[in-house]
Amino acid sequence: MAEPVLPSVLTVERCLELDAREEFPGEICRALTDLGAERHYLPGVPAERLLALIRSLAGRDFTVALAHCKTYLGSVATWVGGTPEQVAALSARVSGGAVVSLALTERDHGSDVLAGEVTATPVPGGYRLDGEKWLINNATRADVVCVLARTGDSGDARGFSLFLVDKDTLPAHAYRCLPKVATHGVRGADISGIAFTGAVVPPEAMVGEPGTGLEVLLKGLQLTRTLCGGMSLGMGEHALRIVLDFAERHHMYGRPLADLPLTTRALADSYVDLLVAEAVTVVSTRSIHSLTGEQSLVSAVVKYYVPTLIDRTLQRLAKVLGARALLTDGPFQKIWRDHAIVGVFDGNTWVNLGTLVNQFPALVRGYRRGRVDAAGLAAATGLKQPLPPLDPARLSLAARDGCSLVQSLAGDPDAPLELRERADRLHEAMAGWRPRGREVPPELFGLAREYARLYAAAACVRLWADNALDDVWLRACLARVFDRPDAATDHLLDLTRRGRAFSFLRGVDHDA
Amino acid sequence: MTLDHIRNWLRARVAFYVERAPEEIDPDVKFVEVGLDSVFAMSLSGDIEDEFGLVVEPTVAWDHPTVNALADYLHAEAA
Repeated sequence: MAEPVLPSVLTVERCLELDAREEFPGEICRALTDLGAERHYLPGVPAERLLALIRSLAGRDFTVALAHCKTYLGSVATWVGGTPEQVAALSARVSGGAVVSLALTERDHGSDVLAGEVTATPVPGGYRLDGEKWLINNATRADVVCVLARTGDSGDARGFSLFLVDKDTLPAHAYRCLPKVATHGVRGADISGIAFTGAVVPPEAMVGEPGTGLEVLLKGLQLTRTLCGGMSLGMGEHALRIVLDFAERHHMYGRPLADLPLTTRALADSYVDLLVAEAVTVVSTRSIHSLTGEQSLVSAVVKYYVPTLIDRTLQRLAKVLGARALLTDGPFQKIWRDHAIVGVFDGNTWVNLGTLVNQFPALVRGYRRGRVDAAGLAAATGLKQPLPPLDPARLSLAARDGCSLVQSLAGDPDAPLELRERADRLHEAMAGWRPRGREVPPELFGLAREYARLYAAAACVRLWADNALDDVWLRACLARVFDRPDAATDHLLDLTRRGRAFSFLRGVDHDA
Repeated sequence: MTLDHIRNWLRARVAFYVERAPEEIDPDVKFVEVGLDSVFAMSLSGDIEDEFGLVVEPTVAWDHPTVNALADYLHAEAA
């Protein structure tokens, strides 16, 4: 797949200066819009193409990625749940360069969205919005804000609706943007908020039907949570390039740092972490199109697994840089700070593990019955296979038949026996817990983590088998997934040090 | 399949999930007020499919949020 073209003003040095001044990268975002980057956010664009943009931007600067790609997060609910007229109208705004934001969280409630206090009350001429949304990316810069507001009872999953609020149409007194907050990472980003006071929006501002806000939002997040893998990939690749370059040039004890055994191992492990992250992200992004009904589960796996993995990779790479990791004139410290947010926003690690736990009964049932959507799975893992366009109507809040990728392990002659036995044991353990409708026991989160590892391993096995990848790639990836040392890991690093690209899958001739 | 049968099964299922006796579950009180987490309530759709062979949306317990409301809906669907 072709690499997206990035504007020449988007340089690492420029972004470091802006970050130091906590300044928004306005010029760079405008340059991206001039290049037409926002066309990636329109409905009908293959998810892999959007992933490639996010990965490239995050590989240069995450503040810019977050600032520009937020328009997709702001629009996705309309693509999923809007009427054809709403989709057409918002498409026109996005194509025209409008910034769209999603206003979901509130000061006192965070991930507990059902406790949301922003209300939308029916009034003559539409709905009246009242209340405050806080820690909202682009709340101040946005032209259009997609707001989750309560239209029914508090705590009722059908008590919320989404509204597309066009700020230009509101009188000045009807809303107030809250000051940008100072943040640890992405210091230049517009992380602010918006408070509505009797802001009246027309009836057609409501996305889809009343009461569908939470459902539509959760379906949209299935797409964005999957694409978050591209943010971690871009930042992880950037960090490894910096550290590898340093370790090759910097000499200690009479030889390059990279040749010290402990450093070689740290670099090699980090490199293979990236290959695993790439495998999980690419398969899961393709499955948006071909295993759409399973995405509630798949997106939770990616959003938990990939940022957590890359957090650990960055921690390890920082040790190779030593004190230099903390110097503010270098790019590593920014990546390190910026990446910390990926595991928190758009559904944090606990929310995603909880989503997996809630689906254990369906996963156990699907595994025991050997349910596999063979055609959908083959399209997700065969990188040359054509993918159907995404049909949002097939998104579902629960994966009725479980997870085709993991369930395919049971009857897969390509899968190592050890992996199949691991899958059997894990599903036994999952089945051994009594499902509970509240207060999930912490032990179940451990099983959910183990499930995500199994998913990662299965993604590697199928990618290897379906795309004729090197045996050494699979061996190294499986060893990393299960935290085992393996000589294959060092071998792969040697190839990279001799100039091979970080990505194995970019070498495969994609269809898109 | 009688309405009574569906209602009793559903009441027992909800009671199991919230770790209470079936008779403690008021069939006219909303699931969320009984203590059933609304995200977890989506797994009722899998139980319904297993028990009655009925394929329903995961959000069925959001749209029919009490034992009586959901039992009525399932009874009509099964007919």
